[in-house]
Amino acid sequence: MKNNIEAPTLEMHIKEDLGLTVNSIEIKNVTVSFKTPKGKFDAVKDISLNVRKGEIVSVIGHSGCGKSTLMNTISGMVKPSQGEVLANGKRVTGPGPDRGLVFQNYSLLPWLTVYQNIYEAVDSVLKDLNKSEKKTLVKDTLKMVNLYEHKDKLPGQLSGGMKQRVAIARAFAINPSILLLDEPFGALDALTKSSMHIELLKLWNLDNRDKTIVMVTHDIEEAIFLSDRIVVMNNGPAATVKAIVDVPLIRPRHKKEIVHDPEYMKIHDQLLAMLMDKLSIADIKSNI
Amino acid sequence: MKNIQSNILAIVYFLCGIGALLLFWEMSSRFTDGELPGPVPTWEVFSELLKDPFYDFGPNDKGVGLLLWGSLVRVTYGFLLGTLVAVPFGILLGSSKIAMNILNPVVQILKPVSPLAWFPIGLAIFQSAPSATVFIIFITSLWPTLINTAFGVSTVPQDHKNVAKAFGFSKFKYVVKILFPYSLPHIFTGLRLSIGVAWLVIVAGEMLSGGMGIGFFIWDSWNAGSMEKIIGGILIIGIVGLLLDKGFSVLQKSFSYEK
Repeated sequence: MKNNIEAPTLEMHIKEDLGLTVNSIEIKNVTVSFKTPKGKFDAVKDISLNVRKGEIVSVIGHSGCGKSTLMNTISGMVKPSQGEVLANGKRVTGPGPDRGLVFQNYSLLPWLTVYQNIYEAVDSVLKDLNKSEKKTLVKDTLKMVNLYEHKDKLPGQLSGGMKQRVAIARAFAINPSILLLDEPFGALDALTKSSMHIELLKLWNLDNRDKTIVMVTHDIEEAIFLSDRIVVMNNGPAATVKAIVDVPLIRPRHKKEIVHDPEYMKIHDQLLAMLMDKLSIADIKSNI
Repeated sequence: MKNIQSNILAIVYFLCGIGALLLFWEMSSRFTDGELPGPVPTWEVFSELLKDPFYDFGPNDKGVGLLLWGSLVRVTYGFLLGTLVAVPFGILLGSSKIAMNILNPVVQILKPVSPLAWFPIGLAIFQSAPSATVFIIFITSLWPTLINTAFGVSTVPQDHKNVAKAFGFSKFKYVVKILFPYSLPHIFTGLRLSIGVAWLVIVAGEMLSGGMGIGFFIWDSWNAGSMEKIIGGILIIGIVGLLLDKGFSVLQKSFSYEK
């Protein structure tokens, strides 16, 4: 099977040759094991992966394959049992202000308003700013994601899409160089999901594509539309990287047109085949 | 429109319930040949009581309003003291496994003890019946508040903890912005249960201590042979208990949040 498309963009080649690419995240031989009543359980095993600065990388795989665990070693929420993770050249020992997190289930504090949810994060992370600077920053961030008029609402009064926008705004507000998204759009309907993709890319563009984004997902279309590279993981336990697929589609990408792009279709088929290879041919036929 | 309709319906149901109670009461009265006074004679005595509820003719002859007020004051003192002790200890129990392991057996042993059993201890400590009554209310109010506070504090969801971790909340910010707001509805559940039990216990406590409060009013009426007064007292206790519960239910709602 052809696992890896050797098709990095020309620009990347040149940058690499000149030694200009900087690794934003370096995962080195990371193994994460959990103690269970039945003994030690390896969630992910001996994974190594580099993510370049400004790159959008998706991690894709079946549920329970350790995608989130791998992501959590970058965020610092989970400590690797072996190996290490470097973020911006520094060893990750815990969560830090250089990495913004968006959780699977939004994780907004239900008793705080939209404004307060973002403010408390800003207040906690950006200690050097004074109060009025913090307030301005929160207001600007809210305007950027078109949530300003909802700033006094509680999360319970918002739709799923809006909640996720608040969560993304909260992560962006602290201006991290690395943004980590754990199945951020999984609970949203298809239409909301699409517009959230555009918003995410808009924010990424606004920042001159300087931010590195790592996203865990199980949605193939989403992964192709957003990513520069897609990391496909094996099924757990002891999950490893099965393949890394490049997505050399030119940006800006258009949702409607991209699906007819032969390159897109090729990548889509390839990913589908990798995720489905456990099923028999007959199963795949009946699924399609 | 629908709201008005359901409100009217609620009132109709309420009246039906009260009507059934009155009917049952009247029938019981007839069945016992007036040994148990019916609604009408009770109302006559009761309305007489309510005409001048605050008279004070010395220690053993006070108006029912004054006695009720005394009971409420004692419940308030005992309840507030209990809350002041139970909430901090509840937070301690909920946030520390060690504290939980040490204190939980003690709580489990003391909780099922009838608060009235503490009355002699209160008398021994304070040498005064009113203080001993406040003391048993204090003991009564401890347990539901303590247990519910500990439960609230110990069940802060991992999602909220993750937010604190990911954004590096200080200990202070964690307590003020996450732990406390999350636990408040649980604390208020505890307070509501506590005030309910406290109101149950005060009547019995005052029957024991004598000379004061609505509990004494009931006992005194028994000694005076007035069933009408006893039933009137029961109604007052019931209505005040209902109002206390409603008040705390409003508080509880105002501190809860939508998920």
